[in-house]
Amino acid sequence: MMTTWINASCILVVFLALSILASYRMAGMIHLFAAQSLVVGLVPLFLRQFSLSQNDLMIVAITIVSKSFITPNILFWAIRHVPTRAEVKPLIGIGASLLVSALLIAVAFWVAASLQLPGLSKSNLVLPCSLAAVLLGFMLLVTRTRAISQVVGYLVMENGIFLFALSLFDAMPILIEMGILLDVFVAVFIMAIVVNHINEEFSRQPMTLVRSKMGENT
Amino acid sequence: MLLLKSIVLQWLYVGLMAPFLCGVIIKTKALVVGRVGPPLFQPFYDLLKLTRKQNVYSQTTTFIFRCAPVVVLSSLLILSLFIPLISQPAPIRFAGDILMFVYLLGIGRFFLIASSFDTGFSFAGMGASREAFFSCFTEVAFFMNLIILALLAQSISLSQMIGASTPLSWPLFGPALILVVSSLFLILLAENGRIPVDDPATHLELTMIHEVMILDYSGRDLAAMLYGAMLKFLIFAGILVPLLVPVRLGQAFPDLLVFTAGLIAIAVLVGIIESIMARLRLNRVRHLLLAAFALAFFGFIVTLWSRL
Amino acid sequence: MIRFAWQVPFGEFSLKLDPLNLIFLLSIAVVTLCAGLYAGSYMRAYRGVRSLAAHAFFFSVLILSLVLVVTANHVLLFLGAWELMAVATYFLIIFHEEKNSVRRSGFLYLIATHCGTFCLLAMFFLMAQAAGSMDFDRIAATAFSPAAASVIFILALLGFGVKAGFFPLHIWLPHAHPAAPSHVSALLSGVAIKIGIYGLCRIIAIVPTLPDWCGYFLLMIGVVSGLMGVLYALGQHELKKFLAYHSVENIGIIALGLGVGLLGRTHQQPFIAALGFAGGLFHVLNHSLFKALLFFSAGAVMRKTGTGAIDQMGGVAKLMPWTSGLFLIGALSICGLPLFNGFVSEFFVYFALFQGLLLFPLKSAAFCAIGILSLALMGCLALACFTKVYGIVFLGEARNPDVVTSTRSPQDRGLDLPAGMFFPMLVLAGLCIWIGLCPWFIARLTWQAGTYLTAVNPAFISGQKIFSALGQVIAVSFGLLGIMTMVLLFQRIGSRIAALPRRETWRCGFSGFTPRLQYTAASFARSILECLKTILVFRKTGSAVLGEFPARVSLASGVHDAAEDFVFRPFYGRLRDLAKGIQKNRLRYTQVYLIYILFFLVFLIVLKFR
Repeated sequence: MMTTWINASCILVVFLALSILASYRMAGMIHLFAAQSLVVGLVPLFLRQFSLSQNDLMIVAITIVSKSFITPNILFWAIRHVPTRAEVKPLIGIGASLLVSALLIAVAFWVAASLQLPGLSKSNLVLPCSLAAVLLGFMLLVTRTRAISQVVGYLVMENGIFLFALSLFDAMPILIEMGILLDVFVAVFIMAIVVNHINEEFSRQPMTLVRSKMGENT
Repeated sequence: MLLLKSIVLQWLYVGLMAPFLCGVIIKTKALVVGRVGPPLFQPFYDLLKLTRKQNVYSQTTTFIFRCAPVVVLSSLLILSLFIPLISQPAPIRFAGDILMFVYLLGIGRFFLIASSFDTGFSFAGMGASREAFFSCFTEVAFFMNLIILALLAQSISLSQMIGASTPLSWPLFGPALILVVSSLFLILLAENGRIPVDDPATHLELTMIHEVMILDYSGRDLAAMLYGAMLKFLIFAGILVPLLVPVRLGQAFPDLLVFTAGLIAIAVLVGIIESIMARLRLNRVRHLLLAAFALAFFGFIVTLWSRL
Repeated sequence: MIRFAWQVPFGEFSLKLDPLNLIFLLSIAVVTLCAGLYAGSYMRAYRGVRSLAAHAFFFSVLILSLVLVVTANHVLLFLGAWELMAVATYFLIIFHEEKNSVRRSGFLYLIATHCGTFCLLAMFFLMAQAAGSMDFDRIAATAFSPAAASVIFILALLGFGVKAGFFPLHIWLPHAHPAAPSHVSALLSGVAIKIGIYGLCRIIAIVPTLPDWCGYFLLMIGVVSGLMGVLYALGQHELKKFLAYHSVENIGIIALGLGVGLLGRTHQQPFIAALGFAGGLFHVLNHSLFKALLFFSAGAVMRKTGTGAIDQMGGVAKLMPWTSGLFLIGALSICGLPLFNGFVSEFFVYFALFQGLLLFPLKSAAFCAIGILSLALMGCLALACFTKVYGIVFLGEARNPDVVTSTRSPQDRGLDLPAGMFFPMLVLAGLCIWIGLCPWFIARLTWQAGTYLTAVNPAFISGQKIFSALGQVIAVSFGLLGIMTMVLLFQRIGSRIAALPRRETWRCGFSGFTPRLQYTAASFARSILECLKTILVFRKTGSAVLGEFPARVSLASGVHDAAEDFVFRPFYGRLRDLAKGIQKNRLRYTQVYLIYILFFLVFLIVLKFR
């Protein structure tokens, strides 16, 4: 029964990553990312069949709070200050990147099939889905031109890494805790990037250009 | 004789249910925005009114224009016999009926597109172009879903693939089924020209695909076209319901109630989506459809993984 | 099966009939007969203008050589008939020899077919050397090593692929078809390119130990040819070129069927194998019927309008109602829609692919899934293509009054084309519907051919599964016809159609409408093509309309054949440069060439007595 829930949540993670790739409005992206983080955060509960130690419970709580509430809110705060709220011209069009990401998912599963890791049953979808999420996040990161969507890409990738670490939950719990620490670090890092990029963009673009771009997207 | 009886019963159910679902959508939309809305049976009255009107034909048109409503309506009427009403088996079911299903949709589409060229007006031509364009995406995505379902059910007959009598096991196939259902729902929206893809509410400006193509129809021909569209919605919803509802009571009548409830739920969902979303820009629509394909493709990979 | 054998110099003149070539003979018989009848009145316009005797002669030679090729049971006879066919076709293509473009197309065809023959020679000599005989039966009894089988298969794909028009090798097709007279195009597309498929089938039959990858490869060739063919067709705005690219698509469907058949054979699934082969062969026959019909009606339309440019036409249905109806039947058949024959053969191929999906191991199942998806996409795109052509050419109003000139009163119910042209088209259309609604006879024939190719005792393969499904398909088709009648009756009962006068189309209140404002084929296809512009070479020239008072602008868009523009043209260019280089440096004495010959002779002797 638990496997069903684990598998379903893994599927949802990739599903949401795909939806993020398909969306072009930043607000929508962030919402989807928040949902994805929530799902990722819930996976440890299913993996441990709800019998977690105090320490692990703390980890789950911190993850969920930091990734599906704090980070999205920071991002929302950031887009309030950005003139364009939608992806303008992705490097690869949304349609093409969707097709490529479908292929990337296949690649992730193929890699997972040939990867032998301890303590994983074959039917478990955690490993392939985590790889897929990493690849999709990477795809988002490299194809999008806006700072915020790049950050979301980075965060999706990070969710994938988190999920990957979870698949080895029994083997090395320390890694998970390090992952959480990394998350916090990343959150700070992102803020820096965001602010930096936005400032850059403001200083580079005259306001008229920004206006015209807004018109183009509304 | 038994077959004839089941055909007549199915047509009776489907024929009455299709306009009713349309009414449910309209009512939902009205209720969401706080209006009372037309009565639930308004689509029936509209259809009846149209059958009493005369047909007006343009002097540009040829026999294609007159054939199209007949072909569209009859292909959808026969398609409605492919749909199992959960434990009431579909009157037409055989190995490979899904292929017939898709190509019967194709024959209706052929005549619809041809008839919109027949009016000699560029607006209808635009609609036809879009229909042809989007149908490429939906059909491939639809086939991707069929492949998954065929693999899950180990059958290529629609009734078994969607688990009409014995439902597909959600605990076992859950991951793939989530993807199939969401992909099929997007296909349902696209094939029926519902809101993120097309706006069925008006005839001009907002509406870009289906209503544009039937712009020049009137009277009974228009009634046939509209009725066909309603049937099409029911058919696609009827594929989704058995997948979504894994409960089978085993008796015809209670199951029919469950099925009806499922159909109405989907209609309400579509109505809510129509109220809270805006139509996508046309060049965004294909992204939606590609997403439907990508989801289905993901489902296919997951299915293959589980067979590994 | 019947077998003749008698001695002629250089080998054996032996013919053989088996279930495989029966299918091809059937399509040859029907199409050549219809083409001959059609030509009788189509070529009447040239009587007295030029000598038709040569044309008639080569037409007969072509028929003879076609029959010889498919029945030959000996390598030399096969190759001889093959060459005869190539030459006869060449002379038929260049009927309008006074046109430079026609001569060039004919020459291109000749080069292409000889490149193919070169591969075939190499292949057959490899086979004959391994078998120690040139008789097909003897070769079939030989066990080839996997490496030899691989080489043979590649050479066969190249050699027969040129003739059949597999994707990158198809470049002669879209040039030769528009150049030739319509009945010759029909023969080319309906029969001649199928001979390539026949050759491939023959190789599949006589080399039963083809390695695994052949099936995958053939399947992927089918996918690529089919998709690229139909996409190029969508981008074509010239009637016959359009149909020529559609032949590439249909060859792709056939290759898909043969590919899944091969996969079934390697995976020991005789049912799937027989089904796949049967589907491919069924499509061979069906395609020859509806493609001939389409070329005939295209010829009639082009005769009437004097052009093949789709965007210049419009409203031809009012001028030529009979032709338009027959074209519609062809179009519905080629789109693979139920009630018509295209559906039945595509049903076979789909069925085989779905069975493969369920029964094959993982990798092959994934390939079957790719096949299914691409077949679905081909179906959709073919539908877009043919609604485009039918809608633009026959429906609407005349776009260019210079092209669609004469008018016809609605009361005129007479034939719009000579009876000699009409009758063969009617026969073909009738056959399309007959196979669509009553496919049993043909289905059994192709099933036999499929089991023949499977190389398993036919008694072990039960076709019951497919035939019961086919029975249901036919029942549903008749059901559809019945419902259509019912709906039609309902539409007509009590409705007062005649009471209202016919009016203009309602144009949303826009008054300054001229027929030239109608949607064009280019705009119809644009959205799909632009979406795929990374794969296709989609080029637009001209500019968009800008501003409140726009200046006169022109915009043209079209698809360029990537295989031609990027592969063959540069290659030919390189080759020509090389040839020029050699030409510059060549020695101008005959003796030098004799010395070369001497050297070669010595080399051969040394090789032999080494």
